[in-house]
Amino acid sequence: MTSATTAFEASGVSAQNLLNDDQVADFVINGYHIVEPQFPAEFHSQIYSDLEVLPTNPGDEINKAVPNIDEIYEHPAVRGALSSLLGADYSLAAHRHCHRNHPGTRSQVWHQDSLNIPTLDDGHGRVSDHVQSVLVMYYPQDVASNMGPTALIPGSHLFTASGDRNASHGNFRDQIVAVVPAGSVLILHYDIWHAGTANTSDQVRYMVKYLFERESESAEPSWNHDAANDDRIFERLERDDAALIQRSLVGKRNYRRTTMWNNLAGSAGLSYEYRDKWSGEWPKPNV
Amino acid sequence: MALKQRLLYLSGQSTDPRSPAISQALHEPVRGSIVEIDPTKTGLDYDSVYEAICDGWRVVHFPDQRGSLEGSEVEVFGYQFVLEKMEQFDD
Repeated sequence: MTSATTAFEASGVSAQNLLNDDQVADFVINGYHIVEPQFPAEFHSQIYSDLEVLPTNPGDEINKAVPNIDEIYEHPAVRGALSSLLGADYSLAAHRHCHRNHPGTRSQVWHQDSLNIPTLDDGHGRVSDHVQSVLVMYYPQDVASNMGPTALIPGSHLFTASGDRNASHGNFRDQIVAVVPAGSVLILHYDIWHAGTANTSDQVRYMVKYLFERESESAEPSWNHDAANDDRIFERLERDDAALIQRSLVGKRNYRRTTMWNNLAGSAGLSYEYRDKWSGEWPKPNV
Repeated sequence: MALKQRLLYLSGQSTDPRSPAISQALHEPVRGSIVEIDPTKTGLDYDSVYEAICDGWRVVHFPDQRGSLEGSEVEVFGYQFVLEKMEQFDD
């Protein structure tokens, strides 16, 4: 295990809350991670009730209008995941938003969130080879497939989208929809292509979004890292599928995956060494 | 009754119409109809453009052979075919 663990203990996050190598690889490959922090069911239903009586959308002030929401983002399981992806000294951005998806709401189009947010510290633009910012979405109620779940395209955070050119896509074959139990927290790479979908139910679906930012570059892995996994992780970054894309993008995708991992891992990055991936058994004839 | 054009946007993994389909959007020629992401649906109606052709769809636009903005700062997933079916609809 990395000695970075001590730095996290100093910040109040214990090693058991940090992600492991495969969970971080999953995030690099797919661009999302789901946490289910443990709270009583009544805790989430109270937040739902508090949101229901808000006369207007408080925007960035949602955490002041419903203070209990902050507890979600302070839960050790959430902090551990954020520390693993952004480093122990990550920060909360000033921009927050509560999405009220009422019955009859139409689907959004596929998009990456705007970069035109003045409250983001550094205006870093799209970052396809690192994790500089994450969107963290909290759902205070069960989300069924007809309640307008958040949809995302796994692996799309590695590419810069053109909203206009993507407007003629509807459903993607490999899209993921966040059909999740109450209290779930969906952590997304800021650049992932996503959309709120149609709510055809008779229930309001809430999603509260906070943004978190990296404050410093990694000197070493900020998760439970074991160098013995390096070869296997390298293989995963080259071979694991996310959403189906054209072959001409696969090389770029794999390069960005490995670069992202290395930017996260600091001195423990993977080395680019030639490996013969094609030796082995002859292919079997098709009969 | 009137003869109207149904439009199916189907993106393939390559310019080969038999390559796996990546995404789809169906536009019905009915005022008020909408096209949006359907979170209740899994998979696509056709596994490839070829499968859609076998079902009677006719290609009216083929994707650009010059590639999908390779080398560009922005990316588009897949190679988009546009197909049509002419069918009778109640006005």
